[in-house]
Amino acid sequence: MTPKGLRWLLVPLLVVPLGWLLFTGFGRDPREVASPLIGKPAPDWTLTTLDGEALSSADLAGRPYVLNFWASWCIPACVDEHPVLASAHDRHGDDLLMIGVLYQDAPADAEGFLAHYGDAGYPHVIDDGGRLAIEYGVTGPPETFFVDADGIVRDKQFGPLTDELMADRLGAILGAASR
Amino acid sequence: MIPTLGHVAVLIGLGLSLYAVVAYVLAARGADRRLAESARQAVIGSFLAAFAGCVAMVISLLSHDFSVLYVAENNATTTPPFISAISLWAALEGSILFWTLLATGWAALVLHRLRDRHRALMPWAGATLATVNLFFFAVMTWPGNPFTLTSPVAAEGLGPNALLQNHPFMALHPPLLYLGYTGLAVPFAFGVAALVTRRLDDEWLRIVRRWTLIPWIFLTLGIVAGAWWSYEVLGWGGYWAWDPVENAALLPWLTATAFVHSSMVAERRGGLRIWTSALVIATFVLTLVGTFLTRSGVVASVHSFTQSAIGPWFLAAILVALGGALTLLVWRIPDLVGGGRPSALLSRESAFLFNNVLFLGLTFAVLFGTLLPLLVQATSGDTISVGAPWFNAVNAPIFLALLFLMGVGPALPWGAASWTTLRERFAAPVLVAGVVAVLAFALGLRDVASLLTLALAALVATILGDEFLRGARARSRRRGEAAPTAAWRLATRNRRRYGGYTVHFGVLVMAVAVAISSGLSSDVTATVVPGEVVRIGAYELRLERLVVEPLRDDPRVIETRAELSVSGPQGGELATALRDYPNSAAAIATPAVRTTLGEDLYVTLLASDAATGAVTLHLFVNPLVVWIWIGGAIIGIGSTFAIWPARRAVPVLAPQVRRAVEPKPTTPSVERA
Amino acid sequence: MSRWIAPAAAVALLAAVSVGVIVAAQAPEPTSAERADAIARELRCPDCQGLSVADSPTLPAAEIRRQIDEQLAAGASPDEVRAHFVARYGEWILLAPSSPVVWVVPLAVVVVAGAGMIVWLARRRPPAPPAARPDEVLRHRLHDEAEALDA
Repeated sequence: MTPKGLRWLLVPLLVVPLGWLLFTGFGRDPREVASPLIGKPAPDWTLTTLDGEALSSADLAGRPYVLNFWASWCIPACVDEHPVLASAHDRHGDDLLMIGVLYQDAPADAEGFLAHYGDAGYPHVIDDGGRLAIEYGVTGPPETFFVDADGIVRDKQFGPLTDELMADRLGAILGAASR
Repeated sequence: MIPTLGHVAVLIGLGLSLYAVVAYVLAARGADRRLAESARQAVIGSFLAAFAGCVAMVISLLSHDFSVLYVAENNATTTPPFISAISLWAALEGSILFWTLLATGWAALVLHRLRDRHRALMPWAGATLATVNLFFFAVMTWPGNPFTLTSPVAAEGLGPNALLQNHPFMALHPPLLYLGYTGLAVPFAFGVAALVTRRLDDEWLRIVRRWTLIPWIFLTLGIVAGAWWSYEVLGWGGYWAWDPVENAALLPWLTATAFVHSSMVAERRGGLRIWTSALVIATFVLTLVGTFLTRSGVVASVHSFTQSAIGPWFLAAILVALGGALTLLVWRIPDLVGGGRPSALLSRESAFLFNNVLFLGLTFAVLFGTLLPLLVQATSGDTISVGAPWFNAVNAPIFLALLFLMGVGPALPWGAASWTTLRERFAAPVLVAGVVAVLAFALGLRDVASLLTLALAALVATILGDEFLRGARARSRRRGEAAPTAAWRLATRNRRRYGGYTVHFGVLVMAVAVAISSGLSSDVTATVVPGEVVRIGAYELRLERLVVEPLRDDPRVIETRAELSVSGPQGGELATALRDYPNSAAAIATPAVRTTLGEDLYVTLLASDAATGAVTLHLFVNPLVVWIWIGGAIIGIGSTFAIWPARRAVPVLAPQVRRAVEPKPTTPSVERA
Repeated sequence: MSRWIAPAAAVALLAAVSVGVIVAAQAPEPTSAERADAIARELRCPDCQGLSVADSPTLPAAEIRRQIDEQLAAGASPDEVRAHFVARYGEWILLAPSSPVVWVVPLAVVVVAGAGMIVWLARRRPPAPPAARPDEVLRHRLHDEAEALDA
């Protein structure tokens, strides 16, 4: 009853969807997870910095900030993005705040890292017990969150930042003055 | 020097494979035996080239030649020789080199053994195998050159992946698994050959079944070895997590097993040619999909290699293999339909057909679960997970149904059976199953799936045992042999059947062991200081001390070791450790596993405090785990027994008759007197 | 012997099933540790490859387990606990997809294929005579002998 040629459809019917599906995976990091925090208020926290002072999210109110989860053992990714963060802090230090969050790291090791690779001068807080990482849904360093002046999370970078990516993400929280 | 030689060897392999493809195709079309002969020798040559490449790589690893990028990334001066040698397959490029060695090895073996037979099929099969080899040599020539040099040459390498240094099974699991994967190209090659030449007959079926079963044995052992290894090394107390890479190995195994069963129906009653060809094609394509998933970085997994340029090449290979073979199949459909007697609803044939439905159902479920995150990501951008809870819930009913069928199959005769027969054959086994279920329940097993598994296993074991005993008794009575002799002779005269029953018995052992070890295992997490005792089951463990020191074999590795003394069913000492490798962020667990036939005592070190000497331990008592591995071994033994060639009188043609029936040589040659 | 086996089997089966049903109905309430464990089995450990929070030895997993205990003790329902983590990690943190479609599809495929097989087998059976034809019998015997030789 069916025309004889119809069976040939079987070939593209099976091959094309499979090829498309497997192809879409390329170029994407399979461990990257879409963040549900985008567009939502950033979590509140109060933690201690490497210098021993207390810092809380309330202190950051009214200004956009960049929250970067990193660790001294996260090599080479955190090493690669370290100068990117430093230069962004230099350029935009007046417009936004930059905060580093230690992810499963000992303060002594973190200080050693900063001594070796350079301390850009922004504060780093110790995420005791990893609670803040869970609040932000962090799966592993480096992950960076971009929060605007109203305290809403606007963007997230999974993996190390480059200068282009940094400029791009900063645009989300700084508006036109991001260059 | 050595790396260059290795690279040259790869190029030679590339050239020889290309020649083999062309020569085989021309030989097939022109029925030119000498061309086919030269193509066969080219394939053997490509095997030798791959071998030379592997030797070059192993030498580079053993001599810590960091001018080779692969060695610099996977080896260090402190790496022990054994680990250096097996690092051949530790990372992407080396594993492809090893894969090519095995693939060319299978091709050379098959083409050589069958060189005087199946004249119509061999050239096309050879061309297909040579094409597969050509692909792998091409990958090693362009996107994934294992002999890529690096400069400047570093003084020290990164060292092997931490997870791969912890356990001797690293030497066992990949080779077994790869032997399985690469071997499954052989039945595919014969499938393609049969479709091209339109010779899907009994001869074809016999070859393909044999050459599916041999790699199948390796694949089975490789999968079981992988589970055992991950149990001993990963430290979470489990052996199968439905990780994408585990699924990748399981998928071709499922379709290959389905093929082995449906081929028996096809042999019995004819027909099913489209179905069996499709299964053979699917099995090979799934080996490519599996290796793609592991190597392309498209899904995250326990041991996926990082994304590289190799991914697109493998994707292309999958699409070409699937598209090409499918086109062939569809083209030949008119030649393949029909034939064969229909099966009765209640017969062994239909049990086998339902078996295929279930195996394909499992294949679909596993493939669906593995690819779903990709699909969702591609269509909606969301990230979802499909993990063990889903796979276990979805696959458990299918496994249980398969377990049931394993009993139904042998209980039913070929051809039509009646419900009365079924009732008679099943009565005693069902009784035994019911008793076992009640007993297990009384002994504390409450999980429904586990209880059903035990009951069904008892059912099947009774049926299999009954079959064997009845056959042995009949034979002993008929021939006057003593019972053990009768039993042995019965088995060796019917290797396929009794080998198959042994395999099924091995599956039963594994099923029961899995059910009990997951249903009745217990665990305890405790933090103790030296001198303190923690109890689990019948064991009492006391922390003696916490030691932090570099490893003797590889001083770059710092081991944090908790030494405990155990009192209980097995007294003595045990040590569980966390090892800090310089190139790994997290410490790698080295759990202590104390195995007995009854249960495993499994201790993982979670955390430690060097100041106080306190440690946090996770202890498990896992009953019957060793029987999973024993069951796997039984499957290996049973399947080897099933395909072992039996000694039999082979009729030999008298020389003058042989000469008379051999085709005339195409070129004049000296006739031997 | 064979006369009483079948009814005995039926009785045994019935007994096993009824005992199972009775016990399942009387299953005791899960303790809070069991409830926490059940939730921990469904949540994915954030920095592992596919392990559940219950199985994982890592620090984030331990912290999540602590938070599960904390929330259950404060009176949250399992759904609320799961939603808490989904709000932070997205659906990804659930080891099994929440959409019921995903659960049904594979089993539906098997059921449909199985039903189709039954229909096909039942229909295709020809009105065959009760005994096989003699040449069929011979063919089967030949096949069996060949099989025995063939190993």
